[in-house]
Amino acid sequence: MPPLPEPSSDATPIPRGWLARKLLPGGTEPDPRFTLANERTFLAWIRTSLAFLAGGIAIEAFTGGLFSGPVREGLSVLLLVLGMLISAGAAARWLSVERSMRAGTPLPLPLLVPLLALGGAVAAGLIIFLILAG
Amino acid sequence: MSVHMDPGLQPERTVMAWGRTLLALLTVSAIFLRWLPTHGPLVLALVAAAVVTAGGIFATQRIRYRRSSRGINAENLHADAGGVFALSAGVVLLGAVSIIVALTF
Repeated sequence: MPPLPEPSSDATPIPRGWLARKLLPGGTEPDPRFTLANERTFLAWIRTSLAFLAGGIAIEAFTGGLFSGPVREGLSVLLLVLGMLISAGAAARWLSVERSMRAGTPLPLPLLVPLLALGGAVAAGLIIFLILAG
Repeated sequence: MSVHMDPGLQPERTVMAWGRTLLALLTVSAIFLRWLPTHGPLVLALVAAAVVTAGGIFATQRIRYRRSSRGINAENLHADAGGVFALSAGVVLLGAVSIIVALTF
């Protein structure tokens, strides 16, 4: 069997973009694996926020026979606002984690976690209450 | 084609996380279609915005894989601030237009 060809690994660093220089000044580049892990965590939060958007649209679109107009709109807006907060919070969290990794300081506490827990519980509890009360 | 030597397969995992997000965006765009009969043509703008955002992820997946492979090889990877903030802003915008559509149409 002929030997496998050497993989053409290209290790030339790519120059830093304008936005990255502006938002992430100072410090040193962290381990690339940590940067990618931070990006995947951001994406997991974005998918959570998309689930809230989908829930908000679904409440408005599917519960016509269950809730009156204003109740439906209120629940829908609550879920949509939560989705927007989680999406904006995901980017803010990504930035603060990236900054503290560059500076070598402890990672910040995730404010998003209590927001998700509280928001999800309030929305679910409210929907159960309204179904039982209606 | 960049090849990396990372046994943790970080570039693959990251590209697949973007791919799952792309699929979630397409799911949301499909749910928007439920609003079409009742909420008028602005819903089509929402569907289009979600599909365009998903398309933007799709179009940059190869670049993303190459960038992160090179970054791992060089032990020096620049954070993708543009991608992160564009996606976050896109989802916030989808939510804001959804609220307008839910309340006014």
